[in-house]
Amino acid sequence: MRPYFEKMPTFGKALKENRIARSQESRAKIEAVEAEIAALKKAKEDVGIPAAKINERGTLTVWQRLEYLVDPGTWQPLHSLYNPEENEEGTTNVVDGLGKICGRWAVIIGFDNKLLAGAWIAGQPENILRVTNLAKRLNIPLVWLVNCSGVKLPDQEKFYAGRRSSGTPFYRHAELEQMGIPVLAGIYGTNPAGGGYQGITPTILIAHKDANIAVGGAGIVSGMSPRGGFDVEGLEQLIAVTRDLKERPPGRVETHYDDTGFFTHVCDEEKGVLDGIKTYMRAIPAYDPMFFRVAEPAEPILPTEDLYHLLPFNQKETYIFEDILARVVDGSEHMEFRPDYGPEIYAGLVKLDGMLVGVIGNRQGMLPKGYPEYADYPGIGGKLYRQGLIKMNEFVTHCGRDRIPVIWFQDTSGIDVGDAAEKAELLGLGSTLIYSIQQVDVPMMLVVLRKGSAAAHYIMGGPNANRQNAFTLGTAATEIYVMHGETAAVATYARRAVKEKDSGKPLEPLAEKMNEIAQKYFDTSRPAYCARHGFVDEIVDLKALRGYLKAFAGSVYQNPKSTCPRHQMLLPRIIRG
Amino acid sequence: MAEVLAPLTGKIVDILVSPGETVEEDDELLIIEALKMENTVYATCSGTVKEVKVNKGDSVEEEAVLLVIE
Repeated sequence: MRPYFEKMPTFGKALKENRIARSQESRAKIEAVEAEIAALKKAKEDVGIPAAKINERGTLTVWQRLEYLVDPGTWQPLHSLYNPEENEEGTTNVVDGLGKICGRWAVIIGFDNKLLAGAWIAGQPENILRVTNLAKRLNIPLVWLVNCSGVKLPDQEKFYAGRRSSGTPFYRHAELEQMGIPVLAGIYGTNPAGGGYQGITPTILIAHKDANIAVGGAGIVSGMSPRGGFDVEGLEQLIAVTRDLKERPPGRVETHYDDTGFFTHVCDEEKGVLDGIKTYMRAIPAYDPMFFRVAEPAEPILPTEDLYHLLPFNQKETYIFEDILARVVDGSEHMEFRPDYGPEIYAGLVKLDGMLVGVIGNRQGMLPKGYPEYADYPGIGGKLYRQGLIKMNEFVTHCGRDRIPVIWFQDTSGIDVGDAAEKAELLGLGSTLIYSIQQVDVPMMLVVLRKGSAAAHYIMGGPNANRQNAFTLGTAATEIYVMHGETAAVATYARRAVKEKDSGKPLEPLAEKMNEIAQKYFDTSRPAYCARHGFVDEIVDLKALRGYLKAFAGSVYQNPKSTCPRHQMLLPRIIRG
Repeated sequence: MAEVLAPLTGKIVDILVSPGETVEEDDELLIIEALKMENTVYATCSGTVKEVKVNKGDSVEEEAVLLVIE
């Protein structure tokens, strides 16, 4: 199959001077949002005790541990701004992402030991569940940097109990282990109660000499046996017990290495723990990337920097999707699937770091005359019509057969509506796409380039495809909502407007309410909001996009659960004809 | 001589070239708003803009002549 993949047709057009000149304002707006996101990420990194103070205590911060652990240039952070419960701390108190350790991809997560000694706080269980799902979807190890003081007690009702609470990750660890996915843990500091389970549930436990894990820590042990209230005599006893337990907390290394043997290794130095993780990462099953490469890796011919001039910040402005895609894939090469059918959708094969990946994306702007063929009105890019829906179904199904991972690029205003659209079976074809995605079971990821809207956001490999979608990225131009705010205001108040008019009431108050709805939609669809509430797993700079795509491809092909020999693939042959 | 036609009915929201200006194939010529989107009209060939037949704000019918390239 070398002739198919080694040199595919090049695509994408060079940037024109007049386009560069005309897009300066758009570029400035994109860069302004990227700067805003960067500032929010920095604020999250700096939350809690300053790093210098942590270092004075002889320990490293979670960020310093990550820097030592992860291969330089491979860290792709996720959930940087995730804070779904709007915690006052501005964080879920875990740091996670994809990164290479000793040349192998892993999902890596650590408690932020600068804040409340890495405590459980609200929103954290959902963050951890996203991370365990990611390891499961990509079939790569989960690496934990455990340093968890247990529950932030004043807020326990927000995350302790329930189906998807702080205990759920422990079951997820067991699930990963059942599937043969190792969970490696480096353990630091005091980890009582939930922190203890965080430390014990992984597969391999490598502890620092001062670490401890326990069912209950010093605080709980000394506070047991409620007496119906507190008095000075009781407090004196509490102080004495607490002093003793602080000196000798339960679950110390001498217990869990010497006696129980739970800890696989104990290290005197902080970095020794990380070296231990590296040793185990070198020992995990992982194919050399050359095993699945269909061609030598190559950078795009067209500069990635051009993206700032090609993706308009103005949501109404159209662009050429292929010009975007050509700037993030190897050699700016592709093999397009059914170019003469379903013109609102691009589908094709591309290479990322030499590995084969399927891509589906919304085209923008005017569509050929007479399309959609079932209607007497013109079609417009970003919307989905009959042929585009059929084409996506076909492409996804072929990718499943050939075991090719899929990357979706959304910029969609929704599926066509109206009587003609219903007769054209768009409702059925949309749901059919969901069935096709579920059926094929290949890893997918999504980039919401600009608009993710209506049911199209679901059916085009959205994050709602829990078992398929590994992660979702947004850009500075991303906005996600069920419909545009002004459309929503009309849908909500159109009938009332008629009533108010007929009864002679002034219309100004209603107009004000409608403006409020539109504003609320705007505020709750911006990139930072999308990231905070988990609509996306990360907002990334356009120039950083290719790094995430390569990380996805590299992770998928590191240890795939099922493969198709390249000479038995059907899709490339269908494309060639 | 090539006439650049309106690809669909809409409103001219921006004109990016002037008479006498040299353009290359695929250069952006003007923006027409239709179906709630601002659609770019590209040069179908290289040449010099001989005449711009519309003004910003004009409503145009499909296939109306927008400008002429010589």
